[in-house]
Amino acid sequence: MLAKLTGWLLLGIVRLLTGAQARWYGCPPKAEQRIYFANHQSHADLVMIWAALPEELRSITRPIAARDYWANTAVKRWITTEVFNAVYVERQATSAPAAAPPAPATDAAPEAPPPAPAAHPVARTLDERIEPSMEPLLPLTPPAPPAETAPGAQGQLDLPEPPAPPPAPPPEPPPPAAPEPAPAPTAPAPDPLAPLVEALRSGDSIIIFPEGTRGHTGEPQKFKSGLYTLATMFPEVVLVPAWIDNVQRVMPKGEIVPVPILCSVTFGAPIRVEQDEERRPFLDRARAAVIALRDV
Amino acid sequence: MNQFLRSLSPTQQVAALFLIIFGVLAIASTAALFLGFREKRNPVHDAAWQAELAHFRKLLGTTWFMVLVFWIGWALGETVATVLFALISFFALREFITLSPTRRGDHRSLILAFFVVLPIQFWLVATARFDLFTVFIPVYVFLAIPVASALANDPSQFLERNAKLQWGIMVCVYGMSHVPALLLLSFPGYEGKSAFLVFFLVFVVQTSVLVQHLISRRMQREPFAPNVSRSFNWTSWAIGIAVASLVGALFSFITPFRFGQALAVSVIACISGSMGHLVMKALKRDRGIPNWGRKDAGVTGANGLLDRVDALCFAAPIFFHSIRWYFNA
Repeated sequence: MLAKLTGWLLLGIVRLLTGAQARWYGCPPKAEQRIYFANHQSHADLVMIWAALPEELRSITRPIAARDYWANTAVKRWITTEVFNAVYVERQATSAPAAAPPAPATDAAPEAPPPAPAAHPVARTLDERIEPSMEPLLPLTPPAPPAETAPGAQGQLDLPEPPAPPPAPPPEPPPPAAPEPAPAPTAPAPDPLAPLVEALRSGDSIIIFPEGTRGHTGEPQKFKSGLYTLATMFPEVVLVPAWIDNVQRVMPKGEIVPVPILCSVTFGAPIRVEQDEERRPFLDRARAAVIALRDV
Repeated sequence: MNQFLRSLSPTQQVAALFLIIFGVLAIASTAALFLGFREKRNPVHDAAWQAELAHFRKLLGTTWFMVLVFWIGWALGETVATVLFALISFFALREFITLSPTRRGDHRSLILAFFVVLPIQFWLVATARFDLFTVFIPVYVFLAIPVASALANDPSQFLERNAKLQWGIMVCVYGMSHVPALLLLSFPGYEGKSAFLVFFLVFVVQTSVLVQHLISRRMQREPFAPNVSRSFNWTSWAIGIAVASLVGALFSFITPFRFGQALAVSVIACISGSMGHLVMKALKRDRGIPNWGRKDAGVTGANGLLDRVDALCFAAPIFFHSIRWYFNA
């Protein structure tokens, strides 16, 4: 009851401040099991996409929340579990070595490139600090870290993604084959994807942010492989790309009071993993599908 | 008829006005509905005509909405009306800021604009502190906003960013706040009827914008400033103003003005309104968007409220101050 009231109140506030407009371009809002994957620019992304979904879908869709941010106070924990019905994931999980290197690389980024002149005007908020957030979404990458510590020095915007094409990591083979023998059951405790798998098994839709970190420009970073893993594990679940626009302006990092600025969430046409599609091409395709929604 | 109307109390007169408007709207909507039905059964007109009809129905929808809003505002009293206009102002400013690039350093200034300046301004209106509410934004706020920005320690494009924010406040908050302020003007022998004044202003300004739009569509004249507006030309502008002012003058019986005075204030309101509309068009062109609204082109989910009210935002302060100065109201 209280949760419901809080939900309404929160929804009212979000609508008043941002409009929280959902634009269904590629697919209608439909109660089928889906994985929504979106760009990630702010912690408020979670609230935005939750508010943009229609009432009926909201109850069957579970957003992913980083435990260290969304569960660090009692109030936030209560809201995320009771109102958003979120799935917690650990960031900086056991795969810490994989997570660590990208951060320094991106920290160097702001000075070096004049990154996004083509992008949205908003993109110029250069002093936005980046921090690794959804790192755990790359469970299959641990083998790669040694390869990718080297390019950490260059201040490129597009981070060299840990799993470069050639060093195909060992746990790769299973995905195309069968959903069930996939990593989830084998590595239950440390696998950060486990809660997501759990949610999908129980028939819920989920919302994930495959970039892993919150970006600071309009351009999303490369997608982590968690999306691919889930997509191959649950081939019948529909993958819907989404572009969340403007949220980072509403509440920049470090600010407490949000400012009223209109935001929208654009949902695109579903994509699927093609027969024999490799992980990297698929992730790039998924990222392109998200970016394409920016200019719809 | 006229005798009968004059014998009514002010409240009854306002109610009668709303009744008439609702009646006209209902007739127009029914006509449009039946036209649509007939077309569906055996289409005799071409696609352009269909589009025109759809456009007209959309316009009717907006009008219904606005009239309903005004009616609610009037029915629930001046305070509610002021809150209503404060909300419109809030949404308009939200649209304006959404489409003006801001930087992180602007955050505090934006908070100031939305959550401090806007409520104070409308509170000043509601409490009828006329001397303060006319200077609050141009004097105090315009000096306070840059201070907040400077304290944010971000000098890049400082003047530009502040100018944008101040302009947004000026148009969306200051301009809009003068509409409910009209409710508080007191003319001798006109007590309780100031709602007519708001209606008069909105009606006249919207008429001039609408007539100008329709005429420029029909006439296809050379646009005067094609880079800013592809439809603006002096001929249709003049016709729009003439028609709307004449209509305003004919409606002088609902105002405290005589025929000539009503004509004069209508001309003033129409000129400032249509020019304001043009100015906002220039702003939109600069931002590369055709509307403040949703994407046929816009980047956000705005619903183009600012497009509807921008003329009013410019006309209201000038209308307010000119009649206040002339009539000493």
